[in-house]
Amino acid sequence: MSLSASVLRRMAVRASLLQATWNYERQQGLGWAWSLMPALDRVLPDRADRAARLAEHTAYFNTQPTLASVALGVVAGLEEQRAQGGPVDADQVARVKGVLGSALAALGDRLFWFTLRPFAACVGLLLAVRGSWVGALAMWLVYNLVHLGMRWRGVGWGYRSGPAVLAEGLRPALERLIERIATLGSLLVGVLMALLLVPHGEPREITFQILLIAGLMLGLLTATRARPTPSQWALGLGVMAVVSAWLR
Amino acid sequence: MNLVYLGTILLGGVAALDATPVGQTMLSQPLATATILGLLWNDLPTALEVGIVLQILAVSTQPIGARTPEDYATGGVVGAALALALVTRQPFLLIREASALVGVIAGLVVAILGAALTRWLRRRNESLGRWCESELREGREQALGAAHRAGIVLAFALGVSYTALCLALGLWGLTGAVQMESLRLAKAWNLAHPLWLGLGLARMLHAFVQRRLLRGALFGAALVCAWIVLIVEAP
Repeated sequence: MSLSASVLRRMAVRASLLQATWNYERQQGLGWAWSLMPALDRVLPDRADRAARLAEHTAYFNTQPTLASVALGVVAGLEEQRAQGGPVDADQVARVKGVLGSALAALGDRLFWFTLRPFAACVGLLLAVRGSWVGALAMWLVYNLVHLGMRWRGVGWGYRSGPAVLAEGLRPALERLIERIATLGSLLVGVLMALLLVPHGEPREITFQILLIAGLMLGLLTATRARPTPSQWALGLGVMAVVSAWLR
Repeated sequence: MNLVYLGTILLGGVAALDATPVGQTMLSQPLATATILGLLWNDLPTALEVGIVLQILAVSTQPIGARTPEDYATGGVVGAALALALVTRQPFLLIREASALVGVIAGLVVAILGAALTRWLRRRNESLGRWCESELREGREQALGAAHRAGIVLAFALGVSYTALCLALGLWGLTGAVQMESLRLAKAWNLAHPLWLGLGLARMLHAFVQRRLLRGALFGAALVCAWIVLIVEAP
């Protein structure tokens, strides 16, 4: 274990650019190679070897961008072992990278896109519906406490634990976090709905309440369908409202 | 005023960067950009009116796998800025509601059309990837840094241009309509606003509850308790 904390930190900072050159062919491949570069600079002093290894790492890779830090740490450790003549070959590195990418994507998508992002938005909206600018700040802080925390510390976790990082307690810890955030989120949506219906201690007019519940029902009925997308539904409702205002 | 427009357009570029290429910190979410614009234009209520609706709708847009999500980063900036610019021209209550409606609809259109632009950018990056690999095979490591700089500059430039174009088109095409038809548009806002909020809340609730009875019950209990507290605490 010879990679210093500063190398791991530089990798974590570079992981913020993991998707800077996202494309359909390699997806995060280029960003992955860029983030891994500080570790390869340290373990492969020969310039030609290093460039060849970086070229290999530009191949297809995709995972949830925050948890990619964990995979970066694991692969940095494997590259280090390989450079020191350990029992690790390039195929094994590629296999671990692929498996971790899929496993972290499955977990990260649920944590960040399906749970934490709606939760942070809900916290922000609770404050913003009262007209406060603090809502946006609260949303940003709630999300980034977890997002930036994991992005910066994930490289170290992966590096120290190796390929077994998920089995060594990270997966159950993240599963527990998802459960707790989702439970708290259900509660907050209830409070948010009450705030929308009774904004300043005065209930909104009955038309507003009926329309909000109609929108809620439509949303729940269409939630499991991929098409039309929620944005298309919203646009359709907007156009319908304009047309009906014209016809009235 | 020109500085305000310049700040708005630059915010479009920053939001385009935060959405995918750099950071992904939620700075590009409509609530965040609308709040910044509200402070910039000195009209937070109008900005929040649009930002809240677009935020609640944007929550259900997930950038999973290779899916190209709607561009709510630019949509949020254009929607809120358009509403703010329209209100600045005629600051009456009806104009504010009419502008909010136009802002949200414009934001949705920009977000939906923006997905095609994102797909174009991602295809453009494919050639960058091939070039970078061939340079690395030749031993030129600095190609990785150059590719990243190019990717970031392109995404920022695209965000700025798309925001400026949509804002200019919106102001050119909609200013007259908002001034002439503010009453009808305000009526349409009263109809669409609760429907949008309900639709967004449902998606949020669906994401959390996931067919768990306990979470559904928690939602119901929180709704009733908060309702009672808000009514009782009213002056």
